[in-house]
Amino acid sequence: MSPIIEVRRLQKHYGGPLAVRDISLCVNEGEFLSLLGASGSGKTTTLRMIAGLETPTHGSVWFRGRDITHVPVAQRDMRMVFQDFALFPNLSVWENVAFGLKLRLNRGRITRGEIKARVHRYLDTVQLSAHADKMPHQLSGGQRQRVALARALVTDPPVVLFDEPLGSLDANMRKVMQLELKRLHRELRKTFIYVTHDQEEAMGLSDRVAVLQDGQLLQLGTPDEVYFRPTSAAVASFIGAANVLQGTAEVVPGKPLGVRLLGGWRLDATEEAPGITNGERVTIMLRAEQLGIAPAAGEIAHGLRAQITERLFLGEKVRYELTVPGTELRLTAVSGGDHLRLSLGDEVLVTADARHVRVLPGAPSPRVDA
Amino acid sequence: MSLATANRDRRHLLIWLVPPLLWFAVFMLIPYCMLFYYSFGSTEYMTFKPGFSPANLIRVFRTEPYLSVLLKSARIGACTAIGATILAYPVAFCLAFHTRSARAKFVIYLLVIVPWWAAYLVKAYAWKTILGTNGIINALLLDLHLIHEPLTLILYNQFSVILTLVYIFTPFSILSIYAQLERIPTSLLEASSNLGATTFETLTKIVIPLSLPGVLAGAIITFALATGDFIAPALVGGPDALMISNVVINLLGVAFDWPMAASIGIVVIGVGIALISVSQYVEHRAQARF
Repeated sequence: MSPIIEVRRLQKHYGGPLAVRDISLCVNEGEFLSLLGASGSGKTTTLRMIAGLETPTHGSVWFRGRDITHVPVAQRDMRMVFQDFALFPNLSVWENVAFGLKLRLNRGRITRGEIKARVHRYLDTVQLSAHADKMPHQLSGGQRQRVALARALVTDPPVVLFDEPLGSLDANMRKVMQLELKRLHRELRKTFIYVTHDQEEAMGLSDRVAVLQDGQLLQLGTPDEVYFRPTSAAVASFIGAANVLQGTAEVVPGKPLGVRLLGGWRLDATEEAPGITNGERVTIMLRAEQLGIAPAAGEIAHGLRAQITERLFLGEKVRYELTVPGTELRLTAVSGGDHLRLSLGDEVLVTADARHVRVLPGAPSPRVDA
Repeated sequence: MSLATANRDRRHLLIWLVPPLLWFAVFMLIPYCMLFYYSFGSTEYMTFKPGFSPANLIRVFRTEPYLSVLLKSARIGACTAIGATILAYPVAFCLAFHTRSARAKFVIYLLVIVPWWAAYLVKAYAWKTILGTNGIINALLLDLHLIHEPLTLILYNQFSVILTLVYIFTPFSILSIYAQLERIPTSLLEASSNLGATTFETLTKIVIPLSLPGVLAGAIITFALATGDFIAPALVGGPDALMISNVVINLLGVAFDWPMAASIGIVVIGVGIALISVSQYVEHRAQARF
């Protein structure tokens, strides 16, 4: 696959702290790439620089091998779906969708018949044909979203940019629109660049996820890479519920790496960890759902003794907050099994499988809450 | 709560309605009633005689120079409104979309407002010194040897009245258009250029249509204020630029024909109400979209 959009060493300064520090990434042709991060991570600013709505302080934006850093917005081959939809309130649904095409009519690049056919087709694609003559204020949030989508897609741009497009919809509508976006991406085979702060949305929709924090790119990878093989403690804690723990490495030649944790708990890691010497401080990640929990009085002999400080029954799963001497653990368990009898304050045994222990490279960074 | 206490509470609430109702009666209802009372009467040897005759109202339309002065005033008002709108739009646009820093916005805002701290009379008089025979413009043109004797064309006519009125009332247009432009989200302009529109296309297809209610409101305010003005025609307008308010003043203070003056007042108020109704209708239709 060839890159269609590339940003190199992008930086944006508004006069306060840097909004975007230093971001470089490639987006491949036909890819669905999400920029994921908390507010203030620089994800929207990065998207706006790709669109040309902001000029980078440093760095460049490339489109199919051409430097477009200083190409005006109107001349870039990409369409954006705005967070507030940005539908023109003085134009009907039909006119909104036809807006971009009519501009081409003025330049003699399209015929009236073609406009009619294309607007029709795309209104059909987003299931809004029945509302073509309505004004935007007469539509529901989800319908407005669809108009914005049709308006962006109708001009057949190679790249579509999304700035938290589902942010203003309610939870149910959001799920419907997520499926819709996924379907549109599959059918139209366009490149989608999607900004969101919702990690489930990012992972569920995208081919690759770029995790941003404080204007920097932390990790760029497929959803399962980012989830299971985070390259830093920050990514590990930002995505999903993870326990990032510190321990001491126990290296015995010919045997898998062992990690002794603060509470005296010893774990084996199946993973090769070259370069780690005996006695070195290491940071490991254990996903909350990969930990096992059992009543302390049960038949399991090994594991970490912990106490339940919070227990949330969520239907399909149960979320636990546990304390062990020196640290806290988050754990989620599928409903069913022995642990359902547990209650607040109970002593439990926490177990972990060596396969799930992930040694994180580099120094530990402070925990980030999503 | 029992019915009795509910009723008593309701009576207590009614007390709060008294001040606004009183205010409305003293400053609106009674003056309007008096206006109608006078207009249906007549005068005999400069004394007022009450009556029920619509003769004065008919005379407004039938007897010269009332109707022609009324139309001329409306024309001057319309020219002022158009001039003020043309001058105001770029300023309001800059203020709304091209002034990012709050301080710059405040300074421009202040520059628009500050002239209002000066007395109206002084501002109108200032134009007399600018346009007059020995005024700034004539002095400059004479010094540059572009003319050999002072121009008299530029003062004491309808042009000088319109110029003065435009200068005085443009701030109303600026504020009215600015308030409307402020409501347009920046994302609409971004979306438009993202879809390939040039700045000019965005302006004509999105910004101007969306700002029309503000333009209209500003135009109606300036039109109403200019049409009813009497200081500018008195100071910088010649005999040709006599306006309807000057006629009313003469009828009241010189001819003592109060019924005629009241009738002209009613016609002017009627036109004003009609215009405001139209603008409200347009605005309601447009604002529902935001």
